[in-house]
Amino acid sequence: MKHHRIRVSEFGWGEGAFSSSLKRRLLHPKCFAIRLLPQREGWSAARLGGLMQRFLSGLRDGVGFDILLISIAMLFLIAMAGLPLVYNVLMSFQQVDMFTLGSFIRPFAGIQNYIDVVRQPEFWLVTRNTAVFVFFSMAGQFVLGFALALFFAQKFPGAATIRGLFLVSWVMPGLVVGAIWSWILAGDFGVLNAILKSLGIIQSNIFWKSDPSVSIWAVIIANIWLGLAFNMLLLSVGLAGISRDLYEAAELDGANAFQRFWTITLPMMRSTIGAVLSLGLIGTLQQFDLFPAITEGGPANTSTVAQYWSWQMSFQLYDFAKGATISVMMLVLVLFASIIYVRSTRHEVRG
Amino acid sequence: MTAQIELKNIEKHYGSFHALKNVSLTIDKGSFVALVGPSGCGKSTLLRSIAGLETISSGELSIAGKTMTGVPPRHRDIAMVFQSYALYPHMTVEENLTYSLRLHGVGKAEAKAKAAEVAQTTGLGQLLPRYPRQLSGGQRQRVAMGRAIIRNPKAFLFDEPLSNLDAALRVQMRKEIRALHDRLGATSVYVTHDQIEAMTMADWVVVMRDGIIEQQGRPLDLYDHPVNRFVAGFIGSPAMNFIEGKIASDGRAVNLVGGERIPLARQAEPNQPVVAGLRPEHMKLATGTPTFHFPVGNVESTGSATYLTSADGHLQLVQSERSTVSVGDRVGVEIDPALIHLFDPQSGKRI
Amino acid sequence: MTRPYVPWLLLAVALALAAVYLFPLYWMYITSLKSGSEIFANPPTFWPREADPSVYGAVWSRRTMSTFLWNSTLIAAGVTAITVIFGTGCAYVLARYRNVWVDVGLFAILMLQVLPASVMVTPLFVAFNQFGLLNYPRTAVVLAAAAKAMPFFVVLVRATFMTVPRELEEAALVDGNSRMGAFFSIVLPLARNGILVCAILTFMSSFGEYIYSKSIIQDPSLQPASVGLSGFLGPNSTDWNSIMAYSAIYVTPILAVFVLLQRRIVSGLTSGALK
Repeated sequence: MKHHRIRVSEFGWGEGAFSSSLKRRLLHPKCFAIRLLPQREGWSAARLGGLMQRFLSGLRDGVGFDILLISIAMLFLIAMAGLPLVYNVLMSFQQVDMFTLGSFIRPFAGIQNYIDVVRQPEFWLVTRNTAVFVFFSMAGQFVLGFALALFFAQKFPGAATIRGLFLVSWVMPGLVVGAIWSWILAGDFGVLNAILKSLGIIQSNIFWKSDPSVSIWAVIIANIWLGLAFNMLLLSVGLAGISRDLYEAAELDGANAFQRFWTITLPMMRSTIGAVLSLGLIGTLQQFDLFPAITEGGPANTSTVAQYWSWQMSFQLYDFAKGATISVMMLVLVLFASIIYVRSTRHEVRG
Repeated sequence: MTAQIELKNIEKHYGSFHALKNVSLTIDKGSFVALVGPSGCGKSTLLRSIAGLETISSGELSIAGKTMTGVPPRHRDIAMVFQSYALYPHMTVEENLTYSLRLHGVGKAEAKAKAAEVAQTTGLGQLLPRYPRQLSGGQRQRVAMGRAIIRNPKAFLFDEPLSNLDAALRVQMRKEIRALHDRLGATSVYVTHDQIEAMTMADWVVVMRDGIIEQQGRPLDLYDHPVNRFVAGFIGSPAMNFIEGKIASDGRAVNLVGGERIPLARQAEPNQPVVAGLRPEHMKLATGTPTFHFPVGNVESTGSATYLTSADGHLQLVQSERSTVSVGDRVGVEIDPALIHLFDPQSGKRI
Repeated sequence: MTRPYVPWLLLAVALALAAVYLFPLYWMYITSLKSGSEIFANPPTFWPREADPSVYGAVWSRRTMSTFLWNSTLIAAGVTAITVIFGTGCAYVLARYRNVWVDVGLFAILMLQVLPASVMVTPLFVAFNQFGLLNYPRTAVVLAAAAKAMPFFVVLVRATFMTVPRELEEAALVDGNSRMGAFFSIVLPLARNGILVCAILTFMSSFGEYIYSKSIIQDPSLQPASVGLSGFLGPNSTDWNSIMAYSAIYVTPILAVFVLLQRRIVSGLTSGALK
């Protein structure tokens, strides 16, 4: 196979405005380089020029352009996410304290960090809290989100617009959401208690944030509110993807609304539901901002979950090794969720 | 005649899929060549390889005498009309037409004049300030044509350009494209799956299947002398009838399974099994002694022609006269022995 | 079968649901207008007896909100710039090709999308410390938050690029443009709206970024509004009208942009979010 070398004249073919300015920039250093090289090394200058031309033409016309585009992003992500991830695992096997924080070589700790973390008195409490937080947040977001998605799938004026308004919760800063709910859930003067009392549901105030038996629920309620809208949106997309003909056919076959839901909606939504649930798990494990805003993990760690505990270890107790260790343990959970997520969206990935 | 596009031993692999197998083709300057074949036969891949949109795995491709290996599309000086027209939706008709001129550094006034001129020839006069979405299918098609002819390229490449038009418009555009080709003295390569388009428009038809060129030649040569059963069945509408039989011991006739015999105009090798190919339009209802008989299973009349189909669905006959034949009749058929094609049942090759 | 009043009934129910759901927002604005004593009224008042917006001015100056919001804007702008510049090209390539490397890239991106910031913050902090980046804390936050925001952006923008027919780009190549030229003159203009929506979403989410800023930025004059809010927020907070006024000042611009662009944001999300 012959390589076609593009002559400079051909290379500098008239282009659009963008390309011509680019051409000037790209061409100039090359000419400059050739002029700088001594005459007797002309052959290597020519070869260099040829290589350079091939490189540049690959950049403009070939796959080089794509490689350039993707590699910048990938290098950035590897530097800012991939390497830290590896580093995190590494730190969980090292002694990291205020003295060794800045040094690159630290004493190896084996699995001592893991043993220490499990032996922490609050370990099981935090594990339980995490499980409760994840399960009930997801369940609440999903069930309410699905109900709303079904409701907004009806045809009525303004359905799409009103549904869209629900998404404000999703674009608000988590800390602000936390602040608002912290006030709504306040024990003595919170509006939620006032409403519940006036409806006769409770007799006396619930101290959402300071009662150890309900403090985790304070954060769960806020988190359900926060994540509900996004669940609803994704489920709405799935619902919209089911052909109306199917429902009409089922109706002609004599299926009532409930049977239609069980025999058509749910089976057709299976991959959507898989994706929504795994995204819900991921989102719940990512939820951080509500904790410092509402309970700060208290009282007595009764509302601390793994992600907040890990952060407290690192940034309040400066025990970075334990912080890293906890987050590695959490990571295992996240990877599990993401495998489900990727599997449920795989058909899309494959196109 | 000089060769404008020359393909030598072109191979193309997509992973394990062998899309083009040792394709060699010479396209003369000023000729109109149609690449025709069923979908997946490699005709589009071949066209895109000429355009430089696909890189060929091996072989040599030259345009106007210059080797094009590794040359990006923009340096090949060819124009292409896409199946979807590929009009730039964010540009007006005029901007679409002059896009390539602007890229090649043609001045504004000159480009404008050229666009007006092309609009005149393609009947787009009043549409220059419109956007593609404001045009009808036929008008879009004309813009795509105009965009191709505006810069007088070395070759025009058409990728099924008429398949999105309705039948009537397709017939009209067929004539217009051919007339344009003749007026410009252009070299055109035209990909289609419609053999009628290929037969009516092209001077040279290339029939492809599974990545190889089955046969190439002038349209009527392909019709009269198909080299194999595939080409025989592909060219001509309605498709050729194939009847299995065996050459008689004297070599002057084909003995059919049912015991009837079709006389041949020439001597064939005796006693070999053959497939006889009979074009529906060559078979006539017998006035004298019929060559063979078949029971009629279906009668369709379009007014200008009558289509008779045998009860087993294998045979079809077209006659231009009205017919009194009805379903269930057993009709006698005669055929000019010189118009009978013989193929090898195993290889499909012409005997 | 359907009676004509049913849609209006549904609309009424929908409005009621929206009212319940958006009550926390209402409560934020109402509380911020109440006086210091009225917020502790029992039962609470659902409409302020005497609307008093003076707390806004007080919070703005006392809490140095202009500094906080400026820092939030800077950080969000930085994150958005990096995400858009790096992420757009990446999304384009992932949309254009179908091969095993693209699958690997997509898989990696999806994996990165799921990493919690709370997992990443410890190693990032330690590494930034080692490389001296903590001396430029806002830059450090921008880099960390951009890596967090980019996967989501790439997934959404990739969906946008997939709606641009490949033939348009090929037509541009045949017409005489280079890959690079075709990308900038054909593909980018056609994907512009989708990219814009995703950029706005990125900006909004990084405008509220908290965990990286809280962990990395120590100097109050460099902290964003989220950290500023956390400074007077805790289980035992009492000056709720100030907190709600601060919150209102903080989120109102975001809410305004969201309501204005709601349609586009929702359609941008629905086309790409589930992918």
